[in-house]
Amino acid sequence: MKLAELYKAKTHSWMMLECNGSAINTQGCVNQYFVHTQHESMLMDPGGIELFSPMLAAILQHTELDKLTTLFASHQDPDIIATLSLWDKAISNATLYAPALWDRFIEHFDLDNLHFEGINDEGGEIQLGGVRLRLLPAHYLHSAGNFQLYDPAAKILMSANVGAAIKTQNDAKYVEDFSKHIKEIEQFHKRWMPSNQAKSNWIARVKELDINILAPNHGKLYQGEQVQEFLEWFDKLDVGSAAK
Amino acid sequence: MMTLSDDTKVVENFVRVAQIIANLESILTQAKNLSLTAKNARVVALRAGDAALGFKPITNFIDEFSEQTINSTTKIADLSNQLFNKALKLVRSSQYYHQMTILKSQMKSTQVESMYQQALKSQRRAASQLSHALSELENHFEDIQKQMQSAEYIAVTSRVEATNAGDFSDSLQSVSDFIASAAKTIKTAVVYNLSEIHTLRGVLR
Repeated sequence: MKLAELYKAKTHSWMMLECNGSAINTQGCVNQYFVHTQHESMLMDPGGIELFSPMLAAILQHTELDKLTTLFASHQDPDIIATLSLWDKAISNATLYAPALWDRFIEHFDLDNLHFEGINDEGGEIQLGGVRLRLLPAHYLHSAGNFQLYDPAAKILMSANVGAAIKTQNDAKYVEDFSKHIKEIEQFHKRWMPSNQAKSNWIARVKELDINILAPNHGKLYQGEQVQEFLEWFDKLDVGSAAK
Repeated sequence: MMTLSDDTKVVENFVRVAQIIANLESILTQAKNLSLTAKNARVVALRAGDAALGFKPITNFIDEFSEQTINSTTKIADLSNQLFNKALKLVRSSQYYHQMTILKSQMKSTQVESMYQQALKSQRRAASQLSHALSELENHFEDIQKQMQSAEYIAVTSRVEATNAGDFSDSLQSVSDFIASAAKTIKTAVVYNLSEIHTLRGVLR
């Protein structure tokens, strides 16, 4: 397992853990993203137990562990943060950014080392080694307290579960034909995204951003035109199917 | 020494700690009942007057050892929170050690080796801390065991004194029976706990 590069500049780079291994796919592969600057690094959605040692091994190929100063958790699901107590042991001086709404849930991890920084509902930003990263509210998409991370320099939006395709073959990194990809994402978005109002509000805000890559938690990433195609499709989708 | 990466064993040991602590409740309940019995027996002995003269010092003894048992059990209850934390720390550091073992098999580097050694050290420290707390617990249970030996002796003595108490003989006889039965219950719980502690300490050694 290794980290594949998504973006590279003088200031920083974006990488994702490639998980083509069948062992990981059986549990619904989680795309884990890693932002690396000269002095500091950040891991997004640290993931489930099965990904801990592969991710740690991959990170150590790029940086020393004491430079991993930041963890970001978009929401509270087990595939997103089940490894928190293990990371708490591995890194002694890091900050965990996660929705403030989940602070009383995070307390149950009984963390010794990680410093928890709750993100207020309106969002905020993370300064990582001089690189400014925006924390974009995406509440009810799907979680009640949900954030995404936008990097204006790299033009990457880590979109958490928006755009996600569960248990799909990651034979290519990016969506190639969006019309064929719809069958991979339609049921998931109808069922897991509870609110049309939240969805429309998010789309209106995201359309204002310059996005080259939309990077979800699961499945293929969207690049260039595919991003707009996804947003237009999502805009028309009627979500919250279980309540109808 | 326990196979550190064996999650099942680690969790089994955590359950063992939980069982030891659960047993405390029955010890404490019986000790409180003993204390109450001593107070009732004192009232009966007073009413019996000269007929139960030999019973009065016995009630003082009952009071004394039931208080000691309550004190020991309360100290154990205080320890039990620490014990849970220490057992939990051991579970966590064992899980972390297990992950570091996987990492070491995937990647060879000085940093990985250092993390592995750190995890091993932390796991051993957690095991040693739990072992130390168990040893303290063992001492408290041994104290209770001694107190229960006294209780059994007093139950026999009080039975003899009860036969001389005339009309109050039956009431005092039931006090003696209760002391014997409570001491037996407490002893059984303590023997079970000491055996569990012994097993746990063996595993952690």
